[in-house]
Amino acid sequence: MGGFCGKLLRDLGMDVIKVEPPAGDTTRREAPFAKGQVHPEGSLRFAYLNAGKRGITLNIANPDGQKLLVDLVARSDIVLEDFAPGYLSAHNLGYEILVERNPKLILVSLTGFGQDGPYAQFATPDIVGNAMGGLLYISGDPQMTPCNPPETQSYYYASLFASYGAMLALWQRETRGIGAWIDASIQASMALHEHVAFNYSAEGRVMKRAGSQHQHNAPANLFQCKNGWIALFVTQNHWPILLKVWDDHDPALDDPKWINSNLRRQNADYINAQVTSFTSRFLKEDLAELMQENGIPGLPVNSPSDFMKDPHIQARGFFAEVTHPILGTFAQPSSPFMIDGKRGAPMLAPLLGQHNQDVFCGELGLSTKELAALVAKGII
Amino acid sequence: MSITNDILKGVRILAFTTGYAGPYAGRLLANYGAEVIKIESKKGGLDTFRHYGQHKDIDAAPRFIECNLGVRSMAVNLKHPTGARLVREVAGKSDAILQNFRPRVLDKLGLSDDELRKSNPKLVIVKLPGFGTEGPKSSYGTWGFNLTAFSGMTYLWNHPEQDRPIGSQGVYPDHLGFVMGPTLMVAALLNSRRTGRGVTIDLAQIEGTAYTLGTTYLETSVNGDETPPKGNHYAVAAPHGCYRCQGDDRWCVISARDETEWRAFCRVIGKPSLADDARFVNLSARLNNRAELDAIVQQWTGTRTAEEVMIKLQSAGVAAGVVQTGADLLKDPQLRHRNYFASFADSLIGPFEIPRSGILFRGMTDGPLRLPNRFGADNEQILGELLGYDKATIEQWRQEEILT
Repeated sequence: MGGFCGKLLRDLGMDVIKVEPPAGDTTRREAPFAKGQVHPEGSLRFAYLNAGKRGITLNIANPDGQKLLVDLVARSDIVLEDFAPGYLSAHNLGYEILVERNPKLILVSLTGFGQDGPYAQFATPDIVGNAMGGLLYISGDPQMTPCNPPETQSYYYASLFASYGAMLALWQRETRGIGAWIDASIQASMALHEHVAFNYSAEGRVMKRAGSQHQHNAPANLFQCKNGWIALFVTQNHWPILLKVWDDHDPALDDPKWINSNLRRQNADYINAQVTSFTSRFLKEDLAELMQENGIPGLPVNSPSDFMKDPHIQARGFFAEVTHPILGTFAQPSSPFMIDGKRGAPMLAPLLGQHNQDVFCGELGLSTKELAALVAKGII
Repeated sequence: MSITNDILKGVRILAFTTGYAGPYAGRLLANYGAEVIKIESKKGGLDTFRHYGQHKDIDAAPRFIECNLGVRSMAVNLKHPTGARLVREVAGKSDAILQNFRPRVLDKLGLSDDELRKSNPKLVIVKLPGFGTEGPKSSYGTWGFNLTAFSGMTYLWNHPEQDRPIGSQGVYPDHLGFVMGPTLMVAALLNSRRTGRGVTIDLAQIEGTAYTLGTTYLETSVNGDETPPKGNHYAVAAPHGCYRCQGDDRWCVISARDETEWRAFCRVIGKPSLADDARFVNLSARLNNRAELDAIVQQWTGTRTAEEVMIKLQSAGVAAGVVQTGADLLKDPQLRHRNYFASFADSLIGPFEIPRSGILFRGMTDGPLRLPNRFGADNEQILGELLGYDKATIEQWRQEEILT
């Protein structure tokens, strides 16, 4: 759940240590795998979410493991965890115990529904987060089953809120000298999306699935081109420009009543069919360029590989080539922000237990012998 | 006794924002006590959401209110040299700038990063341009909607059997930007406090969106083929999907991720022997026979309410969730337990409730959010108390239409 939070904090320059059970994080067993081969270092999801983190293994169900973890917490600024509420306390690692060793600790807990309340113990795979948060109901074609967004967006989105909480807590520690315990909820993170709750509360309106058709505007949808589709969003200001660019449009569209976005939306079937007769003459890239030249924000519906090849994205250096011992050489997205024009260097995910020596011996002062003994006992 | 969460109290932020991502980022900073001053002008510089809907009063557009809660308002014509100078002076007394205008709009008004930072080297600047400040398409017009398309998300947001893209009516990229923006801003504020030097952060919303599709790009790059949409399928769980329930357009999602959950699922639906049926005996069997499995699940859910399905399964340790509507969210007991909704008894659009935030600080309560201040309502306080100008001067600027 919280892997994406650690990723963003790492991209902000923090030293993030991923603590995995000795058998490895469950993400390591999740598809997609490189070349389809199940391998502990082959999960692409693991590789992406953990790029740049250091990785150690530790059995925190074991008292010796717990002691080492608390030693590590004492040296840390932030603890990020996504266990079910109560799990840490049950393993002698509750907030009260951690804070005893590190009074200014920032504990960031990310769960499906929060630390307490009637649904606190509900299991929350991503699709449950999107369903209970209200995004799923408005996603997809109205004639079809609601459609979950790609990857695990509810986890990622709650992770962003958890990251914001972590930064706020660091600010509080800096200015007021105190720690904090942040309770991030996937459901609460999703439930502010797309005005779903607000529209109902303020206007009594239940938003429904509408494919890509915008609620209040048309043409504001996906339109067929010769080689795919374009996303067009034509406002009141853009409408006359569109008609000018589209010089052989049906003269009926020149009626000034069509300036009104709401009227166009009410007649979306008619407007969309007319616009399709225009868009279907073009390649999606060419039409997007023509629209943008005229100030209309059109962009092609790209596949992932179209996006990766786009000259703008290439020129910005968003993808960096990295070489991983198991995955080989591939293009990896970098951090999405630049600080004073500079982007962070590309990084790799840790192999299982790669930094055990660094952390347990280098930082916690275990001897090589002690480390070997703990490894033999299955604690590390 | 609970303490009010006003962690950012004392932080002053100037906001040049319009639409959804920028304003909502400001609102999320105001949520935690920051003083956010939104700069606008009737001389061609109003937030586009002020015109959203059919309201004549520019302070009464519901979308604008929703996205600008807690925000102060300064009206000043940036195209007038005095207006631009006054903004530079306010920037001199601020901690950060938040902006989501197109690249170089502010530069042309004498409000470039260097100009703004001249008297205040600690000033943090966070920009949320659609396509970034640099690059061949940086001047392109973007909305959350078409950024979703450009990134590959629209293509991926579909059921696998569809032959045309479906995507979403929404603006997911805006949502990403308005949480990442404040996160980056607080990080930069910490850095500025420690080093005495403010940085400029350029968060291209298209890259913020792509940041959430990294596994898919890795799959494309490492495995060398186009990654198809997965819809409601998930490689490590079956049953996994969205199932129709009793009632009009009512649905519940269900996900059984391991053998324990699968067995519990079979018990709950009253078919314990199904667990050992050869077609469903392990995950790969269940994935291979997904259509048959889904039909069995659907048969059970179809005669029950979504709420009953969720409660029965979750009580047995199986993941399930009602596909909630806006109406459901407002009465959700878990969200109510978190005191999730800020309540406004009275406003220009009548009473309403609105979500606060995805996070809580334990032992602290989120402060009361204010309605956005009316357009220009804070001019006198900012120019008078903060910058020290006398009433006559302010009045003269008003008459010269600099403060409008």
